[in-house]
Formats: sequence, C-alpha cells, structure tokens
Amino acid sequence: MHRSGDNVSSLSATPQNRRRWPIAALVVGVGVVLGGCAKNAPQDTFRPAGSNSQRIDNLARPVFYIAGIVGVIVLSVITYCVIKFKDRGQDIPEQTHGNPKLEIALTILPAIILAAIAVPTVVTVFALDKKSDSQCVINVTGQQWWWEYDYTAGNCGGVEITAPIVTAGELVIPAHTNVLLRITSRDVIHSFWIPRLNGKRDAVPGRLSTLRMEASQPGIYTGQCTEFCGLSHARMRQAAVALDTNDFKTWVDNQLQAYKAPDPGSLAATGEATFLAQCSKCHQINGILKPDGTPSLAEPDLYEVSGAAPNLTNLMTRTAFAGWTFDLISDKCRNELWNAKPADFGALYLQGVWMDTPAGATTPVCFNEANLRSWLRNAPAMKPMFSDPTQLASTGGRYRGMPNLNLSEAQIDQLVAFLLERK
Amino acid sequence: MFTTGSKLFLGATGLSIAGAVVFAATTGGAEGWLGAVGLTTLAVVFAFLAGINLYTRDANVPALEPGVEHTAAAAQPAPHGSLWPLVAALGAGGIVVGLVSRPVVFKVSVIVLLAALVEWLVQAWSERASASASYNASIRRRLLNPLEFPILGALVLGVVVYGFSRIMLTAPKSAGRIIFIVIGAVVLFAGFLLASKRGLAKTTVAGVATLGAVALLGVGVVSAVQGQRTIDQHPELTSAVCLGTASAAQTAEIDHRASQAVAMKSSVAANIVLTKDNRLVAFVNGYPNVEFHELTVPRSAEVNVLFRNDSPTARRLTARLGTFKASDGTPGNEQASCTTKLRQGGQAFLSFRVVKPALASSSPYAFIIPGLDGQEIKLLVP
Repeated sequence: MHRSGDNVSSLSATPQNRRRWPIAALVVGVGVVLGGCAKNAPQDTFRPAGSNSQRIDNLARPVFYIAGIVGVIVLSVITYCVIKFKDRGQDIPEQTHGNPKLEIALTILPAIILAAIAVPTVVTVFALDKKSDSQCVINVTGQQWWWEYDYTAGNCGGVEITAPIVTAGELVIPAHTNVLLRITSRDVIHSFWIPRLNGKRDAVPGRLSTLRMEASQPGIYTGQCTEFCGLSHARMRQAAVALDTNDFKTWVDNQLQAYKAPDPGSLAATGEATFLAQCSKCHQINGILKPDGTPSLAEPDLYEVSGAAPNLTNLMTRTAFAGWTFDLISDKCRNELWNAKPADFGALYLQGVWMDTPAGATTPVCFNEANLRSWLRNAPAMKPMFSDPTQLASTGGRYRGMPNLNLSEAQIDQLVAFLLERK
Repeated sequence: MFTTGSKLFLGATGLSIAGAVVFAATTGGAEGWLGAVGLTTLAVVFAFLAGINLYTRDANVPALEPGVEHTAAAAQPAPHGSLWPLVAALGAGGIVVGLVSRPVVFKVSVIVLLAALVEWLVQAWSERASASASYNASIRRRLLNPLEFPILGALVLGVVVYGFSRIMLTAPKSAGRIIFIVIGAVVLFAGFLLASKRGLAKTTVAGVATLGAVALLGVGVVSAVQGQRTIDQHPELTSAVCLGTASAAQTAEIDHRASQAVAMKSSVAANIVLTKDNRLVAFVNGYPNVEFHELTVPRSAEVNVLFRNDSPTARRLTARLGTFKASDGTPGNEQASCTTKLRQGGQAFLSFRVVKPALASSSPYAFIIPGLDGQEIKLLVP
C-alpha cells in the first residue's frame, strides 16, 4: 500500500507533469471560449437589431472593457504575488499593518469608476423605461408553455387596427416603430426575451410590466422564455417578426378577414366538423359556426390551468407552432426566409406555408406537414406537458398543455386539410 | 475476519438487497421502483454499519493486550448520566398520545423521538471512542454541533416570533406601534450597553438574552391564552352592491369601511378617472394624455386598474363582467366587480379576471359609474 501511494505521489510531482498542467488548462480554457463561438447565432445579444438593444450594447461594451481591464490588473497582481512570494522556505518578511494612503486610493479609485459607470447606466435605464413615445401597444401574455399576443384596436405604427387581433408564438410588429409590450402571465412567472431587440422582462401573474421593442429592419428575431416555468420551459420559444408598414398592414388586414368556411363536401369541410368536435373546446377560430349556426366559443377556462389555448384563426400565417417550438414550414423554406434580405423578407413571410408555391397549386410547397401530423397524433410525445388525463387530480381535472386526443389517421387528414385553409 | 456485529449487519445488507430485487420484480410499476429504492437505501445503511463494526472490531478489547482492561476506552466510566433516554421515552409516549388525540402531537413526538435517538446514539458512541474524556467530548461536538446550533437557533427564533405575534394580536390596534417602538428601543439600548462594556462575562450576556426571550415567551403565552382582539371582517363587495341592487344599509356599511388608500399604483392596465365634469376616461401606459373609451384585456388573466374619483360626488367604479348561462342552460345573474364608493380625490384599486370572451356574454363588458348615465368604457375581451 505504502509503495503504491508513493508512486502516485512521485508521478504527479514530476517536472514533466508540472509543465503539462498549464498546457492542459490552456487547452481546456481555449476550448470553453471557442465553444461559445457560432457562425449562425440568431439569439446573439452582441448583434443588436433595434434602438433599445443598441442602447444596451452601447452600455454593456464599455462596462465590459472597463471590468475586463480591472480584472486583468487584479489577476495579474495576484498571480505576480503568488509566484513571487511563494513559500520556498525563506524567512517570513517583516509584518506590517495598515497603509492609509494605499487604502484611501483603493477606496476612491473604485468609487470613481463605479460613479462613472453609474451615469450612463442610469441614463440607459430611464431611456429603456420610456413609454411616452410609443407608437403601438401590444398585450403579451405568457402561460405554460407559449406566448399569446393581442393587439388592441387602435393605431399601430401608422396602421389602423379596427378590431382586436389575437395570435400566438410569433409577435408581428411594424419595423422602425416604437412598440410597447404590456407583459403579464396567466399562471406562473415567465420571462419574455428577444435578445436582438431588447433585454428580458418578467411576466408575473397579476402584474403588468412594459417592454419597449423596436426593430431597425424587417426580419425575424428569435427568443425564448428565460424564467424556469415548469416541464417544457425549454420548449417555450418565441419570435418577433418585423415587417415594413405596408407589409404589416397586409398582415393586419389578413388577420381581420372574416372566416371563410371550407367548400361543402371537401375534406377540409369534414375537418371543420372534426375541429368543432375535438379541438374547439380549447382552441378558438374566430367566426367559425357550430352546426346550429351559433358562433363556436372556446372555453379553455374549463379545461386548461392557464385558462387559455392558442388562437388558431390564422395558423398558417405563422412559421412555427406549439410554443414556437415546431416548424410549420420546411427546413429549406425556413432557411430561405431567415436569410432573406430585409427588402424581400416581408413578401416571403406573408406567404406563410404557401411560400414558393406556384400559382394554382393546391398543396403548399413549404408546409411541414410531418410536424403538424405528429403533433395531432400525440402532442405530449413531442412536447412534455402535464396532460395525462389519469393524473389531473391536483389540477381539478384541468390540463397544462395539449393532451393526446387519440385521433384516427382519417381525422388527422381532415384536420390538416382544414387547418391548411387557416391562412 | 468478520466480527459478530459485522456479520449481523452484513446479513441484513444481503437480505435488503434480495428484498429490493424481489420487491421490484414482483410489484412492478412506480410502487415497485419506490420500494426497491427504499430497500436499497436500507442495504446501504446496513453496509455502512457493517463497515463501522469491522473497522472498530465491534469495539472489543483485544484479550491478549496486557493491562488493556484498565486503559481501553470501553473500560472508562461514562463521564455523566444521559438525559436522552428520558427524552426518547417522552417522545415515544407522545407518539401514543398523538395517535389518539391530535396529529400535531404525533408529528412533534416523532421528531422528538428521532432527535433523542440520534443524540443518544452519538453520545453513547462518543463516550467510548477513546480513553480521553475531553477528546470524546470534542468529537461529539464536532458531529452534533453543526446540527444542533442551527436547529436550536431556528427553534428559539420561532418561539420569539410566535410569542411576539401573539402579543401583537392581543394588544389593541392603537397600541401596536407603541409596543414596536418600546421593544425596539429596549433591544437597541440593551445591545448598546452590552457592546459598550468590554470584557463582559459570557454568562451575563447569555443571562440577559435568556431573560428577554423568557419574558417575551411568557407574555406571549399569556396573550395566547387571553385570545386575539376582535378583528373587523370587511364585508365582501358583491355584484349586487356593484350594480346598485343591494340594500342601502349593506352598501353604506361597505362604503363606510373604504380606506381610500391604494398600496399599488404601478403595474396597472389602465388608470380610470371620473373627471370633475363627470366624464369617465381611461389612460393607458404608452399613450400619454390620450383618453381611451375602450380597453382590450386578455381573457383568463388578472387585470388591475386604478380608479380615481375627481368628481364632487362620492362614486364607485363598477366593472360589468357579463351574464352567462349555467351548465344546465338556466340564465345566470350578471357578474360585476367594483371599488368602494370614493369621495372626491379618492383612489382605489380594482382587480378582476374575465375568463370568457365578450361574445359569450348576454350583457356587455364595460366599466360604468352606477348612478351616472351615459358614461362607460367598453371592455373588449377577445
């Protein structure tokens, strides 16, 4: 036992090994740093795309440089002291206590640095809290595990919204417009974050927080919930889609179009009946009528803990669904859309799943049918949710998310055909 | 190789492992796994005890060592008697009493019994750990003090807080601030005195602190026995009061109790104002100086508005929240929520939640001022 212990000790202390440790540490350190690099990082906070995020960037960079310089100085002095005064068996130097000049200097210098940083910080904080220059107000409501946006009737960036619009997942905003988001939550605390447009804002039940948002050019800006909110927190994503004023007006007009029922006798018409029987308890499609001719009104308050489920009126105008987690458009079309030039982006986006589809074609080229089918087949298998009907005693029988409806393949065909017309 | 004690525990370890395997295989499901985990944990505990027995050779004195019967740890007399058997007995008795009386007695007794057993076991072990009484005492402290101090601290703090809360609930409302000031001043003064006297004996400080805690506890117990003062229950603002259909006496009683004070003024969906010239208008964050006569709020979310009455007449703000059929199809009553009646300049907070869209209601959603016709703010719930 003794010998083996000695061997271990002598092995770890050889000069050769001592030389290897710094190299290994350097390799690990460089690896960690390089691990943060990415060619295509849509949630990169260092690429601001709006006036608010630019303000944060303008503050964060100099503060980071100052902190970095201070850090390097402090670490260098510590490293120097550790090496220079390492215990080599020398006599203990003369012990002294206190150095008033040094202590005063080391108190005043950080105070000056902090005071200097405080000025632009406070200015930025107040600037980011400004509400008086808003040109559009949108309500944002979080729940497990998706975001709802409702647009109040009124003017939004020069576009008149004549009736409230409710949508989910994708926040469509006019570019070059000061948008004020009024954020709250229906169940637990969430946090709304589109890194390239502004910082985070918590969505707290019973409270209403505001967040400015402005995109300097058309495009798609992604984000995700940043407050742990339960089982599928990681799958609670969102995006802000910025459109030019004309494109935004087109989008608004489309959202406010009256419901168009499927052609009688079509597969979509059967899908409408299936939707009314299976989905309309929770999901609202504005204007859809029950067989008795009365409006179908969803009652998610009876079935969902949050009291809400995504409004599916114009589902096919969105590029993703289920908490903006699963694509409604194919990978190829998504790449095309995300990499589109700002001038071309709006026209592409407004086509939704019908992007690149030749005129007269009945099947959209970009539709990611497999994702929607999988979701309809068994939603909890794609996204973990609290939706097992046998385990709902603690929630009074109400779900958190969509349960498995055990739809037949024929019903799925019908629903896909019906939902494809919600554009 | 194996000592008698270790054999016992090794056998128990083997049985536990076998039990875990059999239980998991025969029971199955979540229960099976839960049982298997429990039995495996038991096996680990038994293995640990077996290891201790092996390491200490069952604490047996080697028979061949000369004079060991006088110097061995086991040969030393116990330093003092132990109270833990008595406490454990109290805990065991409490468990029996708790089983036939109140669950809280049972739970507390279980905790007392477990604590006494742990203390008893560690004390018994530590007193035989070596031939040195002071060393034995030190290892007992090292093992148990990190547990004892936080638990005792929390207990003492709990007793102090509980005693103080009983005092505050018993004392008249107007005396509350005086009690706070006096106790705060006494604590501050005593702290100052203790801090300014250098070299004060620890026993003096401990005595003063104990005296204070005992006094607080004593007064707290007396207060608890005496019972709480009468605390006014604020009557509920019913839909009938909000819509003006309740009796005048009931409405007057509720409004009489209005505090006219608002704690939360930020984070509201809208500021609603009844102006001096009796116009009802809403102001929304983001639209400075724009008067709204229509508000959109999300369904199923808590909505807060702040109402201010600038008109010379006392008024309340009522939110008409719809009329819905019951599940059996019978017509329901109109739902409403409202503030108390506010005098000129008074402000009140109104919090409500609308779970169904406006289309589902047979009456409109709106903010109104009862008794003031023609003034309303439409409430849109998409």
